[in-house]
Amino acid sequence: MIRAEKLVKKYGSGELELTVLKNLDLEIKDGEFVAIIGPSGAGKSTLLYQLSLLDGPTSGEIYLDRQRISDLSEVEKTALRLNKLGYVFQDYALLPDLNSIENVILPMLMQGMTHSKAVKKAEKAMARIGLSDKIHNLPAELSGGQQQRVSIARAIAHDPHILFADEPTANLDTASARPVMESFQDLNKDGQTIIMITHEEEYASKAKRVITLKDGVIVSDEKN
Amino acid sequence: MKKLNEKRKEYLNALRVGWFLALRQIRRANKSTTALIIFIMVLTFLNLVVVSGLLVGLIAGSFEQYREGYSGEVYISSADGRDHIENSQALVTFLENHPKVYAISPRHTASAQILGTLNDLPAKDERANSIGARLNGIDPELEEDVTGFSRFIWKGENLDPSEEGYIVVGSNLIKKYSSFADANIPGLSFLEDVDIGSRVRVSMSRESGTVSKDFIIKGIAKAKIDEISTRVFVLDRELKRMIPVNKEELQEISVKTDYEYAPILVQELKDFMGPNEARIQTSDEAIPSFLRDIESTMNVLGNALSSIALVVASITVFIVIFINAVTKRKFIGIMKGIGISPSAIQFSYVFQAMFYGILGSTIGLFLTFGILKPYFNANPIDFPFSDGILIATWSGSFTRVAILLIVTLVAGYLPAKLIIRKNTLDSILGR
Repeated sequence: MIRAEKLVKKYGSGELELTVLKNLDLEIKDGEFVAIIGPSGAGKSTLLYQLSLLDGPTSGEIYLDRQRISDLSEVEKTALRLNKLGYVFQDYALLPDLNSIENVILPMLMQGMTHSKAVKKAEKAMARIGLSDKIHNLPAELSGGQQQRVSIARAIAHDPHILFADEPTANLDTASARPVMESFQDLNKDGQTIIMITHEEEYASKAKRVITLKDGVIVSDEKN
Repeated sequence: MKKLNEKRKEYLNALRVGWFLALRQIRRANKSTTALIIFIMVLTFLNLVVVSGLLVGLIAGSFEQYREGYSGEVYISSADGRDHIENSQALVTFLENHPKVYAISPRHTASAQILGTLNDLPAKDERANSIGARLNGIDPELEEDVTGFSRFIWKGENLDPSEEGYIVVGSNLIKKYSSFADANIPGLSFLEDVDIGSRVRVSMSRESGTVSKDFIIKGIAKAKIDEISTRVFVLDRELKRMIPVNKEELQEISVKTDYEYAPILVQELKDFMGPNEARIQTSDEAIPSFLRDIESTMNVLGNALSSIALVVASITVFIVIFINAVTKRKFIGIMKGIGISPSAIQFSYVFQAMFYGILGSTIGLFLTFGILKPYFNANPIDFPFSDGILIATWSGSFTRVAILLIVTLVAGYLPAKLIIRKNTLDSILGR
């Protein structure tokens, strides 16, 4: 479970100060599949960065499994991201020097898992997203859709509590985006909490809950 | 205690992940870039070891030549204020019976005047064609065993123990062969118009008058050892006949023994002879102090050049790692984003830097000890005063490798730290 209370995020200062998130309250329970939508500049990405601990709010509090995040040091936040969160970035963000399976096992190695155990889990994750035959390919040898699915495998292999996806289909054509969205739906069916940002209502409709942001505030919060 | 164990575990895990990342980054890096970096590290290593080794080798080469070509491992000469070694014959007997002494060359030496033109006496205002020189009386066979004297015979032939009346002249005493002939050094004179077969007159002043004897030049000795190239050599028994008194007392003895044993033998000889009977030195002690000063200067110069090489190496590694880290800033951000600890990422860059350092040093060591050192030993650099060799010891080289690796480690760590401490989100978004 993740909860945001009176979340404010400002950029710049003085006359150039811009408030992107305005006293935002939000709670997402375990097992939910939430899509955050809204026009450009609404604060979707900023909200995701705050919730996923990649950035800190100007004021307000975030609680992850009842743990107050503002009390944590950067090192503790990094450990929390490693152990409890998973990320799927818009541009896949795979490490170019590592092949698919190496990209997937990396967070697990950092958790202290043995290499062989990490490889087994990674193979399972790769099979789950339908890329068992691409485990030794470097990112440059994969299509955009395949890279994004490897990115999903990396995000889920270490069993995170929450999976964050920042416009995961933005760089993909419809044919490539479909299996990515199907992967999210399958994962959610198995109980994975997912928070996804998207521009496209078609993909938002696959989520169980859709939150619409506008000018830094939630204007609607609906269940599908 | 539990916290300490956790920290230790985290640290070891960061090392493991750093190694995992470094290995793959090296394996999949651009091959020509990697080769270029390693090449630079090899050059740096050679700059550290070989350049200073050659500088010191210039002087060390002359020390080695002096030992092998004249003094032997132990050199015995007249004590201060004496004109001969006391109890010379007892000393010779002691040395001949010593199990660790392989050969000795006892020598008589004396100052002499060498007259080069015997037929035409100089006119009143003309300088005589003569020089003052040190005359060595040698037994050619014993001398050969200690110094291999015949290898210095550059023209003509060596002295023959069965032939009297012949002389070998050092090349620097003859104008047309001397390296200093065109230097116009005041007071320095040469024999002119003499060569193999010329007759010269050797004169020695004694209280009873001048003793002279004519010799035919049989050979010209050339070496980068002053004691060879600026002296004249005759059979020992002929010189003895010219010396009026103390005919059995020697002026020099060169002793061939093991280099490592020389200090022990010196002590044994001092114990045998007493403190004032002779000057007994190892070849290293016998080397003139000005040469030692040059050696120290070369060492300082070599260390200065090495320091510059180290600075260049550290800047090179810094730039390489910095550019590498800057171009991968986004990926560093992503790694931090997915929970890879900053120390693991730093370790990956340090490991890469160490890889370049270790591989460069290993190739450098192979080149130094496998190729360059044997090459320079076989083909010394021909300097006017010595045959330059490459002085490089394993212990000295490993010390330099250690220094290079420490510098590399720091130069790899700093740029990685600079990039890694940037804000994670800024790195991911490239802002």
